[in-house]
Order: sequence, then structure tokens, then C-alpha cells
Amino acid sequence: MTDRQQRIQTLYEISLSIGSKGTLVDTADDALLGYLQKLNCSVGAIYRHRSSAERADYETIATIPAVPESNNTLQAAFGALPDANRPIGEQLPISGQTEEGAHFCLFELPDFGVLAIGKHGGRVDEITRSALRPLNEKLAEACRSKLIETQQRVERNRFEAVFDAIPEPIVSTVVDDDGIERVKHINTPFEKTFGYSAEAARGRPIGALITPVVTGSSHTQITADRSDESETFATADGTAEFLSRQVAVNGCESKEYIHLYVDISEQKQHQHELERYERLVENLPIGVYRTTPGPDGEFRLVNKGLVDILEAETASDFETMAVSDSYIGATKRSQFSELLLEQGSVDGIELELQTLKGNPIWAAVTGRAVQENGETVFELALQDVTERKERQQQLTVLNRVLRHNLRNAMNVIKGNTRLLGEAVDASFEPHIAAIEQRVDSLEQLSNKAGTMRSLFDQGREVTTSVEMSGLLAELKAEFESSYPEATISIETADPVSVQADVRLKMALDELLDNAVVHNDNPQPAVTVSVSGSTVKPPSRWVDITVSDNGTGIPTEEWQTLENGEETPLQHGTGLGLWLVYWTVSLLGGTIERSIVDSGSQVVLTLPRAPTAHSAD
Amino acid sequence: MTVTSTVVPGEDLHETLVSTAASESVEGILLLATPDEPLLTDSFESTLQSLSVPIFGGIFPEIIAEGDNTDSGVLVVGLSAEPVVTTVEGLSDPDTAFRDALDPRLPAKGYRTAFVFVDAYSECIEQFIQALFRTYSVELSVIGGGAGTLGDERSPCLITNEGVIEDAAVIAALHAPTSVGVNHGYKEIAGPFRVTDAEGSTLHTLDGKPAFEQYRDVVERHAGRTVTPETFFKVAKSYPFGISRLDGEQLVRDPFAVEDGSMSCFGAVPEGEFLSVLAGDADSLVDAAHTAADHATSGSFGPESLLFFDCISRVLYLEDDFDRELAAVTDHGLPVVGALTIGEIANDGIGHLDYYNKTAVIGALGDV
Repeated sequence: MTDRQQRIQTLYEISLSIGSKGTLVDTADDALLGYLQKLNCSVGAIYRHRSSAERADYETIATIPAVPESNNTLQAAFGALPDANRPIGEQLPISGQTEEGAHFCLFELPDFGVLAIGKHGGRVDEITRSALRPLNEKLAEACRSKLIETQQRVERNRFEAVFDAIPEPIVSTVVDDDGIERVKHINTPFEKTFGYSAEAARGRPIGALITPVVTGSSHTQITADRSDESETFATADGTAEFLSRQVAVNGCESKEYIHLYVDISEQKQHQHELERYERLVENLPIGVYRTTPGPDGEFRLVNKGLVDILEAETASDFETMAVSDSYIGATKRSQFSELLLEQGSVDGIELELQTLKGNPIWAAVTGRAVQENGETVFELALQDVTERKERQQQLTVLNRVLRHNLRNAMNVIKGNTRLLGEAVDASFEPHIAAIEQRVDSLEQLSNKAGTMRSLFDQGREVTTSVEMSGLLAELKAEFESSYPEATISIETADPVSVQADVRLKMALDELLDNAVVHNDNPQPAVTVSVSGSTVKPPSRWVDITVSDNGTGIPTEEWQTLENGEETPLQHGTGLGLWLVYWTVSLLGGTIERSIVDSGSQVVLTLPRAPTAHSAD
Repeated sequence: MTVTSTVVPGEDLHETLVSTAASESVEGILLLATPDEPLLTDSFESTLQSLSVPIFGGIFPEIIAEGDNTDSGVLVVGLSAEPVVTTVEGLSDPDTAFRDALDPRLPAKGYRTAFVFVDAYSECIEQFIQALFRTYSVELSVIGGGAGTLGDERSPCLITNEGVIEDAAVIAALHAPTSVGVNHGYKEIAGPFRVTDAEGSTLHTLDGKPAFEQYRDVVERHAGRTVTPETFFKVAKSYPFGISRLDGEQLVRDPFAVEDGSMSCFGAVPEGEFLSVLAGDADSLVDAAHTAADHATSGSFGPESLLFFDCISRVLYLEDDFDRELAAVTDHGLPVVGALTIGEIANDGIGHLDYYNKTAVIGALGDV
């Protein structure tokens, strides 16, 4: 065989070792082995030339032997590598010799790096070195391809890591030759959300995997390479609303897409709740609004309730007016603002305001001062209490009339009646007595009106307790003294205290009075018993039952009470029952009436006192 | 490095090993044995495990000692320096990470020579040899060969302190330098033929024709006689294949069987490579051994002894002329020990490390 023939054969055999392997290192390593084996060389290396804006250097990809530092030939070859900062092709090939007589050669691997081979006791001849050029180009191409493939794999692995790490369902798809978009890969959240395993999903049309169940809710935004849709899809657990985003990916040969599904069910629910809440606030018959603090103040937000109360046309009417414009009295607004800033909140402060049309109104304002975006704002609720305020004023006047003017008039009538009785003969005595009796009733009515006023003045706040056996003993003594014909029985088991104050005595006094005085039995018998409640939890409630042997409270009186208002056709005969009803209500209790065989009974259910506090 | 050797019959081996290991001048033992049943007993395994020094070696068709080759007895070689012995198992498993089993820092630690013995019937010897070369290149002078017997039955053939094992390789690294000579004496008579279809060590076609057909045509033309599958084995001893190396002696691939036009060889014949048909005679083979010995002994250090690993097929081919080959080595005036192997492993210190057939490998072992 001639040298030329053997050289061609050798080059051909080397070429067999050049090709893509599993990794760049394997590709370089196998090719290097082929070079050394066929050229009968002993050492070799493949270096990658790395160049960036900052620096250029060499990265060792493969060496034979594995530890090149102890091999003088390879060290010499490494030391002879061309200047990495200059075009290496212009500096190669390079040949050299070590002190021990070994030879080495450095060849360019175009657009990749450098191949080094070394031989002890001989050298690769020049013709062979020149003939290696196409092989070196092939090797460089294999290394470049592998490098790109490796980099792409790294990128792909990175992408897949991100793909799987995203907590939202994601699917990647590819459009096949028939134009059908088929699933390539899904992440774990997709599997869990839509109930498909990766194996079951792969290759299936995306449209067969997930389809909108409520198409009408779709909302689409499309850009050149992206679209967002809000749709409801069937999931493994039912249905859910998703914001689906489709992104086009630049695939090598076919169209690819990434679909991301963000579950917005909860967000939508919150949004719906917010909208409902906003409607609720908007439609409340009270004013809900926000203002800035200060003597003037600006409206920031107003609801329709405030628009109506302050007789505005629209909410925008408030944009140009100061809050102080709605106040009557120059300093009232400043005082309110300062109070709210100082206390942080107010509850039911009554203010005299004026509407945008100039009509005065009374308003109860509740609100608080809050910090928002670094500034203080007032969040307020305003209730129009003009009618109540006017009724209150009317009541005050009426009360005065009843208590003061009427009593004065009664005193005059009473005095004159007494004088009249003394002046007329005895035949007029029954008429005089009737006038005096009626005047006494009117005086009692006047007194009750005063009692009612004090009843409400104390409000609903109750901080004391009343020991029932003591109270009932006191009442028994008073009634038996006033009505000797009546029998009052008290039935109490263990000492019981209820959460109440002196108003309870007024109510019981009224009930006993009704049971004795309005009893049609000539020998009225009244029993008052105290026990744990039978209609509410007895640990927290007490029943006070007043039973009598009479006909009890007339039904029409009771119906008036149950209806809550008197009408010209249905009204009570006096104030007594109303006084009992209001007292029990103010004490937080309830009142019930029932007819029993022995007569009638009224049950007051009141809160049991948690601890013993005196009502004194 | 001092080598002291003793040839003993198998039954005396235990005492010889124990006494050799106990010798103050001995730090390791090279054991070259011929097939013998006592070597495969639990008792011998216990002996190996009880030795106080590293031991390595193999069971070969024949051993070389005291100027002669013999198919009986055991050669115990005491080494005055301690070897680092590495065992690589799974030599028939292509997935074995051979390189991971090798310590690439051995040259940096001062080791210069490696004895390498492999189970000749393992299927991945070439991959292992490549791993050796990739790891050490010529940093280590490698000498050794394939162990095993010529019989049909495969049996454990590699000796370590753990016992006698199979389907493995044993590497023993020494600090002493070795100069290696490799030669076979066969010359190209035809080719090259491109391997157009092959599988492992089985050649199916050469230049697109059935391998045996191509081979037969060449040999019949050269030998002037008819070659049939029946006469093939006798003829093949004279006409092996050669794989060329640029600036290097061809690698011999020894065909040993023919079936359906395909030929089986010792060692891989990669598809795409080129094969030549080689021919040799007694004189060329003897001259080759002499050349190898000359090359081994021409190193810069004064060798203490010669290690001779020669292919058993050369004995079968040379027959009585093998004495001439032995003499070509022993006439260098140094003690010669070695074995007749099934395939040879060597690195001549210049080029590539390879797995050879029908080749004489001679190492001149120097002192440190």
C-alpha cells in the first residue's frame, strides 16, 4: 500500500470517529481518540475558543491523558495556543517540539477552537497535517452543533423548570399539518386542575381537552402574538373561571403556542361581592361618603343616599362644594372636624345641616378618621333624623303641656270643684265626686307621662341588677296595704337577680295595678313567680310571671301593643300597658300574654344578671 | 525493581506464596499460572486473601520461565516495590464506566508502569483499553495480555487478593520504568479491504463481499492451495488480518472461526475501517520477537529483567520453532519471565495503546 493510499485510508477512518455524540465532551473525546489512534499519536486535546466583549480565552473540552498537567507534551501544546484575543485562524497551524523530543501540532477548528495532537518518538508529517484540514472542519462543525444543541438543551431545561415551577396550569401546543393544535407538554398544576395526566394529554387536540362551558362570558383581547380570554372551563372538581393567555412561540418548523390559565374564580367572586356591596352602599337610604378633614373639607366619595338627603342632582354636585357648605353655623364644621381628628371616631353626632337647595335638616353622623395613601380622610355615614328630631321636639312640648299646663289646669279645676262642693246642696254631691275622680285620673295620666319621659331618658344602657325576691316583697307590701281585699302571692325559688334598674319596679307596679284594680273578681288574687326562662336559655334568661284570677288585659289593648302603633280605630285605654312594654323593651326583654284556666297571665322575660349589682 | 521468580507445582503454591510474601525484600507478587484445578478452590482463595502483600496476575495457556515455556506450574514473581492494584469488574458490560474505575493521578504520583491483565473472553476489552489510553495516554508504560484457557469452558482467570475472578481486568501500577517493544512479524499481502458489514468482532463483508470469500481468494492465491471452512483454522495461523496505523505497525486481528461466510476474530473489527491480509513465516516471527526485545532493552535505564507476553497462537504456529523465538528474547542476557496470552496489551511508549493479536510484547523492567 502506498503512503498516499494509507493516508487517505487513515483520514477516512478518522472521519468515522467524528460525529455528534451524547454531549459536547463525548463528541470531542471520541473524535480525539480517533485522531490519536489512527495517526498513532499519544496525546491530544480539544480547546474551545471563548470570546466576549470583556475577554477571550480557551476552555478545555477533552484531553488525552485525562490529567494533562503531568504531561509535558500537552503542557507545551497548551502553552503554544494562539493569542485568544486575535483571530486564531490566522495564527494556526502551529508545530512544536518538547525538550524530550516529543512533537505536537495545533490545528484550527474553524469557529470553535483548537485541536492539539502530540507524538513521542516521531511526528505527523506535513502532508498529513495539511490533509487533516477537512477533517478538522468536520470536527469543528460537530462540536459547534453539539455546543448549540447543549446550549439549547440548557435553555430548554431551564424553560421546562420554569414551566413546571409556575403554579398556574400551563400547556404547550403545536399545530400539526392538518392545522390542529395538539398538546405537547403540560405542567403538574394543569394535571391537577383539569384532571389529565401528562400521558393522557400528550398529542390530543387542546380543544378536546378543555372547552369553555360558558361561552357567553368570554372576553378577548388580542395582540399580534398574544391573546387573553376570560372563560369558564370544566375542571376536575367542577367548573372554574380562568383568564387564559395564549402566546405564540417561534418554533423551528411549526407553530407552537403556550397557554396559561389563571384561575380567577375567587377574584371574580370578590369582584361580584364588591359590586354587590357597592350597590348596597349606593342604594342605602343613608348617606355614605368620604371627606378630607379641615374647616372646609372636600367630598371624595358620595353615595346616592347622600345625594338624595342633601337634595343634590348628581354626585358630581359635590365635586365643587366644600363640606362646610352643608353646615349651618360657621364654626360647626371646624368643630366636627377637630372632634373627629381628636377622637378618631364619632357615633351618632347630631348636626344641623342644610341641603344644596338650602333646606335645613338634622343628621346623625357616625364615622372615623383613617389614613389612606399618607393622608387622613373621614369615612362617614349620615342619617337624616329631621323627622325624629321634630317629633322629639313635639314630644317635649306635649310633655310639658301634659305635665305642667294640664296639671296646673287640673289644680284649678280641683280647687274650684272643692269650693263648688261646699257651695251646692247634697244632691249635687255625686256630680262633684265624678268631677273630682276624673280630675284625679287626669293627674295620674299626667304623672305617667312624666314617668314615661324619665323612662326613655335613661335609655337602653343597664349596668345594674335587681334581686327579685326583695323587689317583689316590697311590691306585695305596698299593694296589700293599698288593696286589703287583694291577695298577692310571691313564688321564688333560689335568689334570682335580673339585669335591670328601677324601671322594672315601675313596670311590675303597673302590671300588679292592672291585675288588682281592673280585676272583675271581688277578691282579686295575684301571683308573681320567678323562674328560669322556658322560652329562652334559662342560664341566661329569667321569666317573671304575673297571674291573676280576673279577665286580664283586654285583647284589643294587647293587639295594639303587638301592632306597635295606635290607630283611630284601635287604641288602648291608657298609658299603663305601653309603659310596661317600653320598660321591658328598654331592659332588653320581651313580654308575652296568655289565658289560663284560672285567669290570665303575663310573662316578662329578662336577662339574668351575670353578677350581683345593686340598682340603688 | 528486583524480580525473583520461582516455578512451583500447584500443590506447593500455598507455602511458596506465604514464604514469598513474608520475605523482607518482597512488597508485591506477580503470579503467572497455567490452568490447574487447585487454583480455583476455596483454599487458594483463602491463601490469596491472607497474604500480607498485594498480589496480581492471571491464568494463561502457558507460562515462560527459566528460558522455556510450559503448560504446567505457577510462576511466582516477587516484586521489591509495592504495586497499586486496581480491579475493574463487568468487562462484558458496555455500560460499565471504565474510566471512573481508574485513578488518573497515578502518573502524577510517580507510577511509570502498569501490568494489565484482562479476561480474554470478556466482550468489552477494546472499550476498556480505550479507557486506559484516554486516562493515561503514554504516561504509563502498559504491558500485559488476555488471560484464560484455550478450552471451551470459560473459568475465572484473574488473580487478586480477593480471589480468582473472571470478566474483569486487573491493573497493577509500579514506580519502576519499563521500556516496551511490540512486534509481530506479519507483512501485508493484500488489501486494504473496507469493512462494509461487521458486528463486534465478527466480520460479515469486506468491500461488499462475504468476508470469508475475500479472505479465501487472497490466501488461496498466496498459498497456492485450496482453503475451506474445514481447513480454515490451520491456514489462518499464517494469514491474519491487519488494521493499519499511520507510521505504526499494523494491529493484527486473528480470525479463528468461519460461519456462513462471516469470520470471527479476536478483537473488534469496526465497520468502516480497512483491513489487510497479512502473512508471516517462522523467520519473520522470530525476527519480530528479536526486534521487540532489542527495542525494549535499548532504553536509557539498565533493565533488571525482561517480561515477555507472547501470543499463544504464535506457539501454535511456530511449533518447534518457538524455541527460536524464546531464544531471540533470552539471548539478551536478562532473566525472562512471562506468559503466552490470548491477545496482548502494550504501549510502546510512542504511540497508541492497543489490544493486539499474534504479537510479541516484551518489557524491560528497570529499577527505580
